[in-house]
Amino acid sequence: MIEKPAKGVTRRQLLLSSATTVAMGAAATAKAATIAGTPQWVPFDHNGPLHYDTPGWQYFTDEQAREVEAIVEQLIPADELSVSGKDAGCAVFIDRQLAGEYGTFARLYQEGPFQPGTAMQGDQSPLNPRQRYTLGLAGLTKYCQANFKKPFSGLGAEQRDATLAGLEKGTIALDGIDSPLFFQQVLGNTMEGFFADPIYGGNRDMVSWKLIGFPGARYDYRDYIGLHNQKLDLVPLSIVGSSAWTQKG
Amino acid sequence: MKASLSMCAGVLGLAIGYAHAGTGADSYNLVEKGRYLATLGDCTACHTLPGKPLFSGGVVLDTPFGKLLGANITPDPVHGIGRWSFEDFQNVMSKGHSPGDKRLYGAMPFTAYTKVSREDNQALWAYLQTVDPSDNAVETNQLPFPFNVRASLIGWNLLNFTQGEYQPDPQKSAQWNRGAYLVQGLGHCGTCHTPKNLTGGDKNGQFLQGANLQGWVAPDLTANNHSGIGSWRPEDIVQYLKTGANRFDVASGPMAEEVEHSSQHWQDEDLMAVAVYLKDFANPAEVPKPLAANDPTMKAGQAIYADRCSACHISKGQGVEGLFPTLANAPLVNNADASSMIRVVLSGSRAGATDAAPTAPAMPSFGWNLSDDNVAAVVTYVRNSWGNAAAPVTSSEVKNLREQLQVK
Repeated sequence: MIEKPAKGVTRRQLLLSSATTVAMGAAATAKAATIAGTPQWVPFDHNGPLHYDTPGWQYFTDEQAREVEAIVEQLIPADELSVSGKDAGCAVFIDRQLAGEYGTFARLYQEGPFQPGTAMQGDQSPLNPRQRYTLGLAGLTKYCQANFKKPFSGLGAEQRDATLAGLEKGTIALDGIDSPLFFQQVLGNTMEGFFADPIYGGNRDMVSWKLIGFPGARYDYRDYIGLHNQKLDLVPLSIVGSSAWTQKG
Repeated sequence: MKASLSMCAGVLGLAIGYAHAGTGADSYNLVEKGRYLATLGDCTACHTLPGKPLFSGGVVLDTPFGKLLGANITPDPVHGIGRWSFEDFQNVMSKGHSPGDKRLYGAMPFTAYTKVSREDNQALWAYLQTVDPSDNAVETNQLPFPFNVRASLIGWNLLNFTQGEYQPDPQKSAQWNRGAYLVQGLGHCGTCHTPKNLTGGDKNGQFLQGANLQGWVAPDLTANNHSGIGSWRPEDIVQYLKTGANRFDVASGPMAEEVEHSSQHWQDEDLMAVAVYLKDFANPAEVPKPLAANDPTMKAGQAIYADRCSACHISKGQGVEGLFPTLANAPLVNNADASSMIRVVLSGSRAGATDAAPTAPAMPSFGWNLSDDNVAAVVTYVRNSWGNAAAPVTSSEVKNLREQLQVK
């Protein structure tokens, strides 16, 4: 129904056509391509995220998952404000992201040359997120075993904090990966998991949205535009739904 | 130059004069008339597969009794109707008998086409002669036993068929009669919109009062104010049939196909005649009481509607003209049968694309992120809000339809 356009315009054609256009001046009418027909439509088609309802770890081994859960628990501890990063599902979120296209930076240019850039230039690492986790977790386990005879998950809160602080500052070196790079990777993904839509595995029960009063992924606030200085008390809404949808009684 | 042109015209005029005298008919006009009549009858719906030669048949009709296929009606002598005479064709249209006294199944809507005038059938026949022959072989009868025995149709015809051309009602205007002729005849609106009896025949006492087929609801077309088109002005009906959308609704499902293939090409005066006729179809409504707004299902449905539906259909069901159907005071929403509503929520839906309105807006599928309970609650809420009142929907209805649709 829709014909593929011919191969790109050559330089010669472009020069010729622009010359013609100039020659013809304002009287020239552009012939735009007309596309008729409608794109394919399939019943039940949807663009939902991968793995959102698949149980079990999709990328991590059980051992890796245990360590990541210990890290996210330390980064976001349970307190009077919220449950911990672990209980909010941040490790599940990270696992799902690594299993998907993000894990291999499928959408980023990842061919060399790789050179250490300036701070302004941001991340210049050749490693993709999967490699960062695999190398970082292995290095961390090796470091903890060497110094405490335990994996990171076996450490107490103070040792965990000290270790993470050492990674952040680069005072603890890891085999195979720059330790601040690994730390920033995990910290960033943990925050994403804590605040992202629950459909991606984290932010369980919209815990962070309730914490900050974010009403969720709503399309449209037209009905609320006129309501100034009023508490709306909107029940947060995820792509997977809302507690308000459950029939009460 | 001028002289030679006028001479040409003179010769041409002479030639036409001879043709007329020779065949007794202006064959060009007759064929063009037949082409338009074939559009009115939407013959392609059953007789042309997308991408295949015109009228070469093979479109599958899933009837409650089994499969029937649209025949090859090209002039091919072996696989088409090339050996038929006009009288053979007239018998098909008016009696449902094809040559060899073979009785046709009601899927070929001869119960409607019997109303078509002999004169119109002659034009149709003339047009069908001009179609390219196709040697596509089609086994039309794929019904299981005993329905595949065509003799069973003798009884069926006794029950369900009244033969005869449309007889104008002298009490009504010419426009009304044209509308009636089109709706009852070639338009064969009742084939989908009239409830069926157990044998699949029309319940003529309930003409155009709406029916369910292939998991869709063909809505009530009477002027019933609740679930019919009583609130539509004739102009609204014309716009709907011409463009696929009006200020209330958007054609979807089989109706979208009908609009795309057929009614968008109808002449405006024919569409207006149809509208005038349909609006004259008084049918008093029995309006049930809506569910109370504080009913727990309604509360849950309201929350789902606000979060999932209101972005397009607007918070009070207003919709957006030409794009998103109005759900407030909407006849289709008030239909006793909620199948179409459940279906479009589960699987999504695509509107028809017409020359006048080529956008073909689509509704996304919510089957993946609304549970059966959610769908039941939100459909129940819509059916009992903003002036609507209709029976609530249960989650088992949703479950059944979901299974039925996903098998296909």
